[in-house]
Amino acid sequence: MSLAAEAFVSQIAAAEPWPEKATLYQPLKEDQILLSDSASSLAVQTFLRMCGLPVQVSCCANAEYMSPSGKVPFIHVGNQVVSELGPIVQFIKAKGHSLSDGLDDVQRAEMKAYMELVNNMLLTAELYIQWCDDYTATEISRPRYSSPYSWPLNHILAYQKQWEVRRKMNAIGWSGKNLEQVYEDVSQCCQALSQRLGTQPYFFNKQPTELDALVFGHLFTILTTQLTNDELAEKVKSYTNLLSFCHRIEQTYFKEDKGSRSV
Amino acid sequence: MAEPMELLCWGGDWDLPSVHTDSLIVLAYAKFSGAKLAVKSIDWTWRTITASVPQLHYEASTVTEPTQILNFLRKQRFNADYELTAKQGADTMAYIALLEEKLRPALLHTFWVDADNYANLTRPWFTSHSPFPLNFFVPGRQASLALSRILLTKAESPLLNITEVEGKIYSEAKECLNLLSHRLGNFHFFFGDTPTSLDAFVFGHIAPLIKAPLPSGQLQKHLNQLDNLCQFCNTILKNYFNASAEKRTDCSPTAIHDPVDANLQKLTQLVNKESNLIEKMDDNLRSSPQHRPNSTPPS
Repeated sequence: MSLAAEAFVSQIAAAEPWPEKATLYQPLKEDQILLSDSASSLAVQTFLRMCGLPVQVSCCANAEYMSPSGKVPFIHVGNQVVSELGPIVQFIKAKGHSLSDGLDDVQRAEMKAYMELVNNMLLTAELYIQWCDDYTATEISRPRYSSPYSWPLNHILAYQKQWEVRRKMNAIGWSGKNLEQVYEDVSQCCQALSQRLGTQPYFFNKQPTELDALVFGHLFTILTTQLTNDELAEKVKSYTNLLSFCHRIEQTYFKEDKGSRSV
Repeated sequence: MAEPMELLCWGGDWDLPSVHTDSLIVLAYAKFSGAKLAVKSIDWTWRTITASVPQLHYEASTVTEPTQILNFLRKQRFNADYELTAKQGADTMAYIALLEEKLRPALLHTFWVDADNYANLTRPWFTSHSPFPLNFFVPGRQASLALSRILLTKAESPLLNITEVEGKIYSEAKECLNLLSHRLGNFHFFFGDTPTSLDAFVFGHIAPLIKAPLPSGQLQKHLNQLDNLCQFCNTILKNYFNASAEKRTDCSPTAIHDPVDANLQKLTQLVNKESNLIEKMDDNLRSSPQHRPNSTPPS
């Protein structure tokens, strides 16, 4: 099939308007979801709110297995299922909603670079702290991850997930790091984000983009999640402009249902 | 002055001081910041399998990994990033993350996983530069490390097969190169007229891709169309490494403004089309019995 015909077909598929019953799936909020998944899910929800697209959040224990790529969150729109922030942004762009249209090429390059920075450093650090730090893994991650299942499935699934994450850390060279170095990396990442944000309301001045949604998702989750110690949250708190950035986005986009949540 | 710092790295070929990306990054940064390094190549020694390259020895301490080595050099007051503003420093971190996530998997694939290139270029080179009997093990080990890194970071189920991941990583790498080209524009270096650590990282990644005589290199062809990046690489080689790098005939010294932009626009559109195509392929792969099938079947 020629390139032009393919592009035409994907345009047709994307031309349906946003339905009212779009759903976002994530693991159970109270018992099961972990820090990294919660951050990704919040980032996607923020992005959809910024675009003004309504979505219902549905919590399922097996969300990870329902997802087409194995990662949460994923959205079910019409007859299509898309997972993870990157593909979701492209999917929504094909439907005609985009937050980054006003950026020129150099700014778009910067935005992509900063999104990779967040994924590379913050997300990897979150995964490391959850699964490679023995204390956190034993006290929090494994019990939570396997809470919906009965014995012996809960043990098997938890250890399988831990083994998978540790393999990945090994492949990218993070297994040689200790916890202090990981906290240091998080701090440097936050410093870079803080310097880029400066005193502006959003990363690209007046308009929020997917980068703002991603950063908010991760930082807000880090600040409001209870881990074995507060060091991660403390690292983020030391950058006041990032704190006020999170406040501002929370007030603007989430005020109708999370008004009483304090950071 | 105390004894010079010693750097262990892979040897050079194809007009480059070293064929290994990480070693090139450190060598370039050392030139930019004026640090004098005694370079020792590990070719034909047992260190090809025991050492993690590049490795910096100074007095009693040893530092590995490019980022750590650059930090160490900065502490020794060899700082090429002295004149950067805070925001430019943040941009440096972001672009380095972009290079690692998007470009490195494709580079690893081009050199170590692609059958043509591996059999005809990479393995013979590394075999001939390792001592007996290590020459049987070194290339194979590097290749399997590269493959596992690509699969673990980029292949998500159901894309567990390397051939299906290939399309995705190459299109991301081409997009990354386009972004770098946009950012570089018509300047000599990424932040004005003096090179910084970001220039070292970009040079380390793209120089082997430009210079290596790859039998099958779609990424290389794409990169050769981005004149400003080729120019950037040749400038660094000429000014800092005194290599008699033959100027490629299509990278003329006077930067031709309009054709560069037109080329870039064309390439950006091509990459966008490719990524749409790949998404369509992904959709087809993922349409399973429990999802309602797409109404228009591909012909």
